[in-house]
Amino acid sequence: MSHSTSAYNEQNSTSTSPEQLGVLVAKKHHLLVRWSHWLNVPILLGLILSGISIYWASPIYQHKPDPITGNFDVAADIGIWICENVPGLHHYSRPPDWIYNHISLGPGMLASALRLHWLCAYLFMLNGMVYVAGLDLGGGWRSLLPRRTDGFEALKMFRYYIGFPFAKLIRRKWLHPRFNTKYNALQRAAYFSVPVAGCLSVATGWAIHKPMQLPWLAAIFGGYNAARVWHFWLMWIYILFVVPHVILVFADGWDTLRSMIVGWSTRAEPPEVIAHDQ
Amino acid sequence: MINKKNRNPSVIAKSVAMKKPECFLAEQPPQKIEMAPARLHQLTRRDVLLFGAGAVAALAGGGFLLPQDTLSRLSVHRNMDSPGKEWFLNKALRIDGDVAEALYSKNRRVPTYTKSQITPLKTNYNGATPDPGYISGWNLTLDGLASGLSISIDIRNLTSQFSLHEQITRLVCVEGWSAIAWWAGLRFDNLIRAYPPVSQARWARVESSVNLDDSGNPDLYFMSLDLATARHPQTLLATHFNGQPLTVDHGAPLRLLVPVKLGLKNVKAITKITYSAEEPRDYWAERGYSRYDGI
Repeated sequence: MSHSTSAYNEQNSTSTSPEQLGVLVAKKHHLLVRWSHWLNVPILLGLILSGISIYWASPIYQHKPDPITGNFDVAADIGIWICENVPGLHHYSRPPDWIYNHISLGPGMLASALRLHWLCAYLFMLNGMVYVAGLDLGGGWRSLLPRRTDGFEALKMFRYYIGFPFAKLIRRKWLHPRFNTKYNALQRAAYFSVPVAGCLSVATGWAIHKPMQLPWLAAIFGGYNAARVWHFWLMWIYILFVVPHVILVFADGWDTLRSMIVGWSTRAEPPEVIAHDQ
Repeated sequence: MINKKNRNPSVIAKSVAMKKPECFLAEQPPQKIEMAPARLHQLTRRDVLLFGAGAVAALAGGGFLLPQDTLSRLSVHRNMDSPGKEWFLNKALRIDGDVAEALYSKNRRVPTYTKSQITPLKTNYNGATPDPGYISGWNLTLDGLASGLSISIDIRNLTSQFSLHEQITRLVCVEGWSAIAWWAGLRFDNLIRAYPPVSQARWARVESSVNLDDSGNPDLYFMSLDLATARHPQTLLATHFNGQPLTVDHGAPLRLLVPVKLGLKNVKAITKITYSAEEPRDYWAERGYSRYDGI
């Protein structure tokens, strides 16, 4: 993380001529990329919440019905476990529904969930096309492509992240690895995988939505039932991506967050000096 | 660090342009521009305000579209249901139905399986299986025929009049589960040929008067089916399941088997088929599900 531009800006502000009063900014994200990036937030939230309500109607992970409760749903077991073990939840009225009451639209609402899921799914596909158009128009897709050196660079980044808290603890300087690319190898891997996951979610979604008209699509994923399992686990990719993504954006600071809103960054040093992270 | 003389925009533009990418796939250095701080500030403010407005709009949109039950769970107790919301969500269902209709091909056969691939089939009568008493007096009534007559046929008459076809196909439930099952029955198409509907008919209403609701009370089950789907060669009026005559659980003595539609269109214990020019009502469409249900 380098903030050398701030020194540069200060230097600028001391300049006298109004014509010379310039801040150097680097274009980072095309307008369409920024729009589709933020639209993904409500759309994916809608897809996940309605998706788990749909999951409720026929859970993928089931076991033999419990002789006492008749419960067969693993997600209900997790809810029961949470209510037994998390302080303050002992008196929760419907422990088997805890998961569905908290991370879905709710249990027993398949019809509403399906309607919302189709709506969000069509929006997700349209939004994906907007994203691809933005990547093409802005040329940003080149920054996402994997490189031969990515394995080695990713290790350097891992070393940095693992060492970072310890370095902070002993108040030692811990330098961010330097790259003269827009993203580091870990970012590239993440930003490349998520659109791939998006395509796979759409493909598995169609495979289970139209198994009779598109049986070849389900066959690619190992059949109708396997495509449902794929579709479920692909959801976790977004969840596992979003958590560190948000943490790291806040850790990296306002310039990075702002660049996804306004499109440019004031970290516009020549590439030789760029060594940032987000 | 950039030294002072490089800060002239033309020089910067030049320095960027000089770096020709080695190949088409290679990452290119970012485009840089010099901007007055006031302008930069103004643009930032504009975009951040727009972003905030978008976030508020997304929240409002979410509140508008979420089901009332979910909103109550989020402690919004005001009734947010509106005709606009229904219209919008139904529009999305209709678009999905139109896309599915475009995917549908009359001549495409659904995959068939071997006996070793058969899986157990849930009955989904949910504990309210009809009393088998209806079977002895059972008749299939046909209405909306070209002859103008209403016809009743008993099961012996049906099975002797039409040849039976076997198929092992997948039945897919709207809930997400599916089962590969072995069926035999007469082709719906053959029934239509033998008892032609009125010439302008485009739809069939398939109903079961013996259906019960969850508490065991009579609950008429009715479903719309377009005639093109009814005529599909794999659409059967099934009489046998796993090589045996249908049991009450599976809709004895005659059930619809339409593998290109979701399970909820596969009416059990059919008592009446009515042909019509207008799209008939549909039990599950009236309960918030799609009316197309083509898979």
